[in-house]
Amino acid sequence: MTAKIIDGKAFAADVRARVAEQVAAMKAAHGITPGLAVVLVGEDPASQVYVRSKGEKTREVGMNSFEYKLPADVPEAELYALIDKLNADPQVHGILCQFPVPPHLSERDIIARISAEKDVDGLSVINAGRLATGQKAMVSCTPLGCLMMLRDERGDLSGLDAVVIGRSNLVGKPMGQLLLRDNCTVTMTHSRTRDLAEAIRRADIVVAAVGVPEMVKGDWIKPGATVIDVGMNRLPPEEEGGKGRLVGDVDFAAAKEVAGAITPVPGGVGPMTIACLLANTLTATCRANGLPEPEGLTA
Amino acid sequence: MTDRLPRAAIIDGKAIGAKIRAEVAEEAARLSGQGWTPRLVSVSVGDTAAAELYVRNQQKQAEGAGVAFEARSYPQETSLEQLIGILQGLNHDPRVNGIIIQRPLPAHIPVKALQKAVHPLKDVEGMHPASIGNIVYNDLALGPCTAVAAVEILKTLPLKIEGLDVTVIGHSEIVGKPIAFLMMGLGATVTVCHHMTRSVAMHSRAADAVFVAVGKPGLVTGDMIKPGAAVIDIGINRVDGKTVGDVDFASVAEVAGWLTPVPGGVGPVTVATLMKNAVLATRLQMEHYRDAYAKTDI
Ligand SMILES: NC(=O)c1ccc[n+]([C@@H]2O[C@H](COP(=O)([O-])OP(=O)(O)OC[C@H]3O[C@@H](n4cnc5c(N)ncnc54)[C@H](OP(=O)(O)O)[C@@H]3O)[C@@H](O)[C@H]2O)c1
Repeated sequence: MTAKIIDGKAFAADVRARVAEQVAAMKAAHGITPGLAVVLVGEDPASQVYVRSKGEKTREVGMNSFEYKLPADVPEAELYALIDKLNADPQVHGILCQFPVPPHLSERDIIARISAEKDVDGLSVINAGRLATGQKAMVSCTPLGCLMMLRDERGDLSGLDAVVIGRSNLVGKPMGQLLLRDNCTVTMTHSRTRDLAEAIRRADIVVAAVGVPEMVKGDWIKPGATVIDVGMNRLPPEEEGGKGRLVGDVDFAAAKEVAGAITPVPGGVGPMTIACLLANTLTATCRANGLPEPEGLTA
Repeated sequence: MTDRLPRAAIIDGKAIGAKIRAEVAEEAARLSGQGWTPRLVSVSVGDTAAAELYVRNQQKQAEGAGVAFEARSYPQETSLEQLIGILQGLNHDPRVNGIIIQRPLPAHIPVKALQKAVHPLKDVEGMHPASIGNIVYNDLALGPCTAVAAVEILKTLPLKIEGLDVTVIGHSEIVGKPIAFLMMGLGATVTVCHHMTRSVAMHSRAADAVFVAVGKPGLVTGDMIKPGAAVIDIGINRVDGKTVGDVDFASVAEVAGWLTPVPGGVGPVTVATLMKNAVLATRLQMEHYRDAYAKTDI
């Protein structure tokens, strides 16, 4: 059997289209335009690319994009003053600060400064606590995207055995929470896990967020399982001056012979992250204005 | 004859609780010496008979450890707004270091709304979303007492927690899930089971340590436990006028390596943990207060 390859690009395009539709409806019915503010500190080239791309995608779905570029040596107080202003601005529904930031700034303190309601990356302690206690939270974008794909693939997830590999605050932990909320039996694994293969062999759902190229082997996968590969690893270039191949945390070629469905890298989870950022911004706008939450775009 | 003896070592929760309280008493004395005698306020609403015994026990334990304890009761018809106002008053009062909200509450009072209204620095029950968020991020300040107590008990056993396979049965927000986070933070591989789990036995049998927090007597039986595993029973159920846990004690005691009894297991450690949170909260507030008034060149 060969697995269905989940087309993340198409999936993400569909999520963005649904966001755009609801943004248009919101404008027509209520005269409200969702707004996302992105703050970039310094001139890291990769970050500049991300920020530009986020801005474009934000405008494409009909939202306002507010971009702020601050010099690498911006004093902490100045950055906080900007965040405070954005927190208070009713046109701004989502705020994110592109990481990494220069070493004189603390990511943790920046996240804490952003109002929890506008923390569309879902990274603040309070949003983690809200998610864990079953309250309305902003949920980290990448795991939210994985959840949407899993629901689409499997329908009701209740009772399925899920294994999450990786326990980062950004991906692994919120992923585990989301799967629990959908009534999966969840096993959280990480670098201290004694027998990863054994745990994965029991799983109907595997989400790998590790950062180790192709570490999950094909024969670890239970036949028919759904495999979501969050990893993005650049292999060393095969020829000098070339660009190395981008691979996930799963040995794709082998796993696709066993799994029921699997996300490729690239073109799987990757495109979902920005789509979910837009979905979160829409959700935040709805909550800020007392409107019903967008259907099919929340956890 | 000997094969009828339980094989499991029965964990003495009272002794563990007493040890924690002795440490609390020392810290409380130190804080008192600096003018910061820890002080808890317990808030009960409506028909308090159900919780009365429980509150009295907390008071006894607190006072025994040098923590001041004031039990307040409000009438059944107190509104949510009034209660939130009362909590805000306690939040502002520098002589109050910790707030306990006793359950059950009247039906018109959503417990989460009250838990959110307690300032995180005074949240000795560890129920505020910020407190739970800190647990998620492995940044333990004030943790939910029962979950912390259950984990503290496991830590007294001669087991290496890093890499340990742990199964948590029950995924409540204040017990099961925080246990899972705490154990994961300590390096265990954690599986969380609940009412929709297809085969709890499959997961519990694979575990070196099992935490049970469901509220169903007899839920876990000896055949579900790996020989030699540690079993921490958090359930509290009334059966025929007796208090029992979620574990079928007789059959599990024959298989497990360690087992907590009910009563006398997690319960006494939970109350001791509440007191530990009280002194910790007091210290955090003292530092916060000193920080706030340290700068004079404003
Ligand atoms: N949009 C996207 O597609 C997207 C978004 C975010 C991240 N990512 C990618 O996803 C991957 C994970 O990201 P992250 O932020 O979660 O990474 P991270 O913070 O580095 O966390 C990695 C986790 O993997 C665990 N781990 C490391 N080696 C392991 C091993 N040999 N066996 C089992 N577990 C192991 C670590 O365990 P310990 O906790 O024990 O150290 C840790 O919990 C990366 O490749 C990243 O590039 C992709």
